Amino acid sequence: MANIRPHNFRTKKTEFIMKRRDSIKTIILSSIGASLTLEGCISPLNENVSEKIWEYRYGRTPYEKDRDKKFLNAQFFNNSELRTIERIANIIIPPNEFGNINDAGVVEMIEFIAKDWSTPAHNNYGENVLRKGLIVLNKLFENKFNNKLTDCSDDQIKSIFDIISYNDGIEEDFKEAASFFATYRYMVVTGWFTSEVGMRDLGYKGNIPNVWDGVPEDVLKDHDVSYDEEWIAKCVDQSKRNETAVWDEDGNLLT
Amino acid sequence: MEIKKSKEKYDVIIVGSGAAGGITTKILTDAGLKVALIEAGPYFDPADPEQQTQFKPTWASPRRGSSVTRRFGDFHMSYGDWKVDGEPYSSVEDTDFMWWRSRMLGGRTNHWGRIASRLGPKDFKCKDFYDLDENWPITYEDIKPYYDKLDKLIGVFGTKENLPNDPDGFFLPPPKPRLHELYYIKGAKKSGINVIPSRLSVLTKRINNQRGICMFCGQCERSCSVYACFSSSSSLVIPSLKGGLVDLYTDSMVRKVNTDKNGIATGVSFINKKNGKEYSIKSKVVVLGASSCSSARILLNSKSNEHPNGLGNSSGLIGKYLQDTVGTSKQIFVPELMNRKTYNEDGVGGAHVYTPWWLHDKKLDFPIGYHIETSYRNLGMPQFGIGGYIPNDFNKFFGLRVGGYGEQIRKDVKKYWGSTIALESRGGAIPDINNYCEIDGNKKDKYGIPVLKFNYKWADTEYNQAKHAQDIYEELAHNMNGIMIGDKPGKDQNYGISTPGSIIHEVGTTRMGNNPNTSVVNKYERLHDVDNVYVVDAGPFVFKGDKNPTWTIMALAWRTSDHIISELKKQNL
Repeated sequence: MANIRPHNFRTKKTEFIMKRRDSIKTIILSSIGASLTLEGCISPLNENVSEKIWEYRYGRTPYEKDRDKKFLNAQFFNNSELRTIERIANIIIPPNEFGNINDAGVVEMIEFIAKDWSTPAHNNYGENVLRKGLIVLNKLFENKFNNKLTDCSDDQIKSIFDIISYNDGIEEDFKEAASFFATYRYMVVTGWFTSEVGMRDLGYKGNIPNVWDGVPEDVLKDHDVSYDEEWIAKCVDQSKRNETAVWDEDGNLLT
Repeated sequence: MEIKKSKEKYDVIIVGSGAAGGITTKILTDAGLKVALIEAGPYFDPADPEQQTQFKPTWASPRRGSSVTRRFGDFHMSYGDWKVDGEPYSSVEDTDFMWWRSRMLGGRTNHWGRIASRLGPKDFKCKDFYDLDENWPITYEDIKPYYDKLDKLIGVFGTKENLPNDPDGFFLPPPKPRLHELYYIKGAKKSGINVIPSRLSVLTKRINNQRGICMFCGQCERSCSVYACFSSSSSLVIPSLKGGLVDLYTDSMVRKVNTDKNGIATGVSFINKKNGKEYSIKSKVVVLGASSCSSARILLNSKSNEHPNGLGNSSGLIGKYLQDTVGTSKQIFVPELMNRKTYNEDGVGGAHVYTPWWLHDKKLDFPIGYHIETSYRNLGMPQFGIGGYIPNDFNKFFGLRVGGYGEQIRKDVKKYWGSTIALESRGGAIPDINNYCEIDGNKKDKYGIPVLKFNYKWADTEYNQAKHAQDIYEELAHNMNGIMIGDKPGKDQNYGISTPGSIIHEVGTTRMGNNPNTSVVNKYERLHDVDNVYVVDAGPFVFKGDKNPTWTIMALAWRTSDHIISELKKQNL
């Protein structure tokens, strides 16, 4: 019967991740490697790439699937913009033992959101916020170093980020850039910590079938809290969870 | 699903496949009746891999789960929310009402919080205890046997507490509290506030061989693929379809109930959303379980010479006495929960503990109490926006710089992850004839059906209730050595009171009563005006107290189903 079919999530998950990795590579390589520069509009990618990108399976309705496909098969940012986002992202969340920005699909996510949030309801977020943000940030670097952001050294980039990334004492001249920087930081932090590698970095341990039986002892001790014995006596005895429930007529559980 | 243009006459047509329609379908078909079940949305089975979102990691979504096509994010299992494409509604000037619709088999039960609370004895005698305009025409004792049967059939965990107005039931054992819930218990105790295990319709223990047992993924709102939490689709409708007595019509929007020249119902007309054509089918009995406002809309749109104000509306009260839950919430930052050791704390898809209303005997400046729910996904799977727009905003509490980038930001996200607790009050609203929905004479939806217009305002005492809750949150924050995040909402912000409709508990639009002049349905949820039409959703509620309505909807619908079976046997229908 469908409702008691066995689940093997671990195997499925690994397969899924492998496919996803391929697709991340595909979009990053294809977008940066392509020779054509597409400015100011959403343009279709070539057929082969679009076929490979369609790896997302997460219970979409037909309408949602079409919408995703449309955006996955189109390119919003030009190659130089994508390279700029990648550079910024790598400085906001530097690589560590868990992986890097590309492993986390951060650029891919921002590229998608630029299209996904480009409706009038989102006030054309891609154009008005994400693209404009890059223009404003790039201008800062050109004024200061006479160079595009991507052609600046890490130290040069950090010297500007040190100014625009804090909330306190921002001079009027930097306020607009600071606000766009905060937007990109929000996107990059989200992109990192919602990715497989980022969740490992964070230490998230769930999203798998398990039998919850309370907070680990050492954690209880660290926090100086404990389970009340009377309370715990009423809680589920996980060794008996598979025994069918039977009650007496007063509602006392017998099994 | 292909539309059947059946010439046959059904025993019963049921409109809506959510909590009300699901249990009615089961009880009526178990008794051998032939049923047509009509659902405005598509077929849905949480076990269908094409539809399943449970266990999908956040990165499976290219927008990382953000709320673009689904109001509560990509993985939330509701097709439709406060906005449904092509199905508008409006509010009377100066008022605001938010109307949630889930267009899918099982309706809102696919995503609900699984809070399966019973109304208490006082809630039924609300005139006597809260000085409201009417009591229910039935008592807790009338409905208790149905609550008991529901507990056993569908399953709910909880504990026997012998509280005055939160009756016990046949409970499965609850899960142990999470870490932040232990902080909440400790904090509440300091103020003498009671905390007990939650009462959720999640199977922590086997109840039969048709449904699985909880896997503690914390994702009940995604609808469970092993059917461990209750949804009407998985636990009632899909099993009932196997009996061969149900014709299921999906993607079918009911326009009206049809009546003959004697004013008796003959069936319903509906629009097939796939081809835009209108169909009508016939039955001996029509049962509306489309949700309070949808059922009111269908009745008001079912005008005829015999029922010029709409079907069953001789009292003029259909749509009146609309109530939603009064809510207000606050996030609390608890520094002792910083730098947490991480472990799998997903638990069930809801809080493991809650505070039932505890000040029954205290004189207050509002008549009806509230319960407090807590957040539960404190160490849950990261979703879009993790860390917040400014990931280390809490630095300000310690005089540290806010902002930055690089390793600092990475460290700060980890430092603050899981260190906040959200508290949410859920309080009883006052039934008021001036809070209502009605047909908007100027607008139709894309199927050509006239739409609803709402008028809803909170009463002063409801603002007082919200104020009281905010004061309690402040006290609890203090008790947990925590800090309220953001300003405590004062009078100028209406104490953070929810927009009516936003708690998604609308009830009361087809009020139950013994007097046909002051109510729409009788104590068996049967229209006073027409013998063979029943309303089994939350429309008949006179009052719901601070309780979440689902369990009462189903208990009443079961009782009504028994009544219909008995009336058909006696050939009264």
